[in-house]
Amino acid sequence: MRYNKDSVPGTFLFIACLCIFCSLMITGTAAGLKERAKAKELARMKHSVLMAAGFGDHRGGDIDGLFERRIQPQIINLDRGEVNGEIDPMTFDPNMAAANPQTSSKPKKDSARIGRRADQGRAFTILDEAGNFDGVVLPFHGKGLWSVIFGYIALEEDLSTIRGLYVYEHGETPGIGDFLDDPAWQSQWQGKQLYNDSGKVVISVVRGGAKPGDLYGVDGISGATMSGRGVERAVQFWVGNEGFGPYLQQLSEMNKG
Amino acid sequence: MSSQNPSMNEVLRTPIFANNPVAMQVLGVCSALAVTNSMTNAVVMTAAVTFVLIFSNLIISLIRKAIPNSVRIIAQMTVIASLVIVVDMVMQDLAPEIARQLSVFVGLIITNCIVMGRAEAFAMKSTPLMAVVDGLGNALGYGVILCSVAFVRELLGAGTLFGVEILPTQANDGWYLANELFLLPPSAFFLIGFMIWGINVVQKRKG
Repeated sequence: MRYNKDSVPGTFLFIACLCIFCSLMITGTAAGLKERAKAKELARMKHSVLMAAGFGDHRGGDIDGLFERRIQPQIINLDRGEVNGEIDPMTFDPNMAAANPQTSSKPKKDSARIGRRADQGRAFTILDEAGNFDGVVLPFHGKGLWSVIFGYIALEEDLSTIRGLYVYEHGETPGIGDFLDDPAWQSQWQGKQLYNDSGKVVISVVRGGAKPGDLYGVDGISGATMSGRGVERAVQFWVGNEGFGPYLQQLSEMNKG
Repeated sequence: MSSQNPSMNEVLRTPIFANNPVAMQVLGVCSALAVTNSMTNAVVMTAAVTFVLIFSNLIISLIRKAIPNSVRIIAQMTVIASLVIVVDMVMQDLAPEIARQLSVFVGLIITNCIVMGRAEAFAMKSTPLMAVVDGLGNALGYGVILCSVAFVRELLGAGTLFGVEILPTQANDGWYLANELFLLPPSAFFLIGFMIWGINVVQKRKG
């Protein structure tokens, strides 16, 4: 039988071939760009960690060298707080780990409203020039008003004083929620305390503004109460018992001993 | 087209001025209003449309004899949509900041009537080489309008070109009071209107 392009089977055949061709074109491009996207993601992670740890903006400079010297990434088993040496921290994908049911679980008290929490987390210890322990950077994320807010919080050597905080991704109300990116707002976290004297996590974003000298409060922004509360709850969750709490405890015992 | 078998030169040149797709056929105006508030955006958008137009014309011209008549339009749409997705992905990789500013308008190239129109009106009945030339010509015609509108809008609206200050604005202690109307989409309506008028007058004089 002669092939007739306008027959019903001919039409189906043509459309099938065209669809395969077009999807190959798209997947080909996506595959070609994947490596670059990964490299960018890694560069952004390094930048965010360094910003939180107070090293400043080194983009375009020797960011890799600085990261190599002063930051030591580790994968932490969150429930036990122990370092897991089996996973390479630089190829670890926290979002995938949290999405995969085999490597994540539902938190008992989901105060940050994250749905699922990965069993492993990536923490970064900060080293001083001599290579001694100088602090720690922890990732946090939690739901704000519209979106999930992602950031890093850095702690000083005593593991209670905040060294810095950096939000690297959020989709809060444009114009109002932008304070999250504001260096002035982020710098308010510096020097604040996570825990009160009895060891409870009390750091908070205070609606209407924190009193001067408040060691445990950061200014909230009018009109963006929920975004501020999102950051507050995310930080509280991730330094708490269901987050990096066990790891921080182990660290402080190690430092004492 | 003026004759049945136009020369390559004619195919390339007519759409740039005499039969400009935006000014004469009033196609693709939506994106011309939206992305012409700065030169950078206009140039990037032109590049994106050029890529899509050339390749959609090429691919459709190559397979024109195999396309069943009943699914002609949908086949063209599939090719165009795939190309636009490719452009979008590349743009997000190379220039994420500009990609964010152009936002939906990159995706909306799919519905840009210039692309569809050239595929249906020209590529379906032309050889691949001619189709590519036609795509280039129309993309340039689109680009000429986009860039000239963006030139005026950015210069008068912000006192800059490609983000570089040309007229020092009063906000930066200069003398020029920026006219913010030019940064808003309606100003592009006026500018494109004036261009259509101008091109019409010239065309009439030519006869």
